[in-house]
Amino acid sequence: MTGITTHVLDITTGRPLPGLQIELYDVATDPPTLLNKTRTNPDGRTDTPILPAASARTGQFELRFHVGDHFKASDGLSDVVPVRFAIFDAAHHYHVPMLCSPWFFSTYRGS
Amino acid sequence: MADGDLLQPARRQFALSGLALGAAALLPAGASAQTPAAPAQASGPIVLHGVSPRLTVHALDTFHGAAATGLRIDFSKLEGASYKLIRTVTANANGRSDEPLLIGESYQAGDYELLLHVDEYFSRKEAKLPTPPFLSKVPVRIKVVNVAERIHLPIQFGPWSYTYSRGS
Repeated sequence: MTGITTHVLDITTGRPLPGLQIELYDVATDPPTLLNKTRTNPDGRTDTPILPAASARTGQFELRFHVGDHFKASDGLSDVVPVRFAIFDAAHHYHVPMLCSPWFFSTYRGS
Repeated sequence: MADGDLLQPARRQFALSGLALGAAALLPAGASAQTPAAPAQASGPIVLHGVSPRLTVHALDTFHGAAATGLRIDFSKLEGASYKLIRTVTANANGRSDEPLLIGESYQAGDYELLLHVDEYFSRKEAKLPTPPFLSKVPVRIKVVNVAERIHLPIQFGPWSYTYSRGS
């Protein structure tokens, strides 16, 4: 499998975070180019890879997680969390999860 | 201790902990074997409760288990549709900026960005990473809502991950 996938987990509940708006941008262009806009499913994932295998390529990408709309915490630390990363080998799969609360955000290259 | 130091609780506490360390050094060698090795300490004791409202940052390199000394951070504020650079800071020996990012009148509500030059940092550390690395310039975007409360922003990062949160 190649392309980009994500998985959003709500660390305040210990459960997947459904219904979260996520966008994928190509940030090698100025301004960034919107490649996909979707929402997480009940499993906290997207129904299809956010960058499908057929579109896998090297480049600079950015996922944007619209956490503020979900948590609606007036003192939340971030509204939209960008995660900017490179695909340096298009033959690899890039799984980029987001663990979050209104005041905590963590991401990593997963598998 | 000079009389003036009595008026500076933070300095005083630092001096006291220094005395404690000194006492530990007097223990016989055998005693230290029962004491776990000190972790990679990113900072000395810092007393921050009760301080005036401010935005502070603390960057830790989880790849090396150390303060991210030398990490360059571009600090910007959202104005209109784009982030406008306020200033560039470099993390000091403790992984902090020498001065708070915002304090006093500069501590205003708004949307801010810390752009971490992670690629440059690990390149200088000669970490073996792909080209381009997974993480290059990492934007951390936060908002300040209540300027009566201070915000401490710890950021832990490695070449493949990062975490940030509201600290204290």
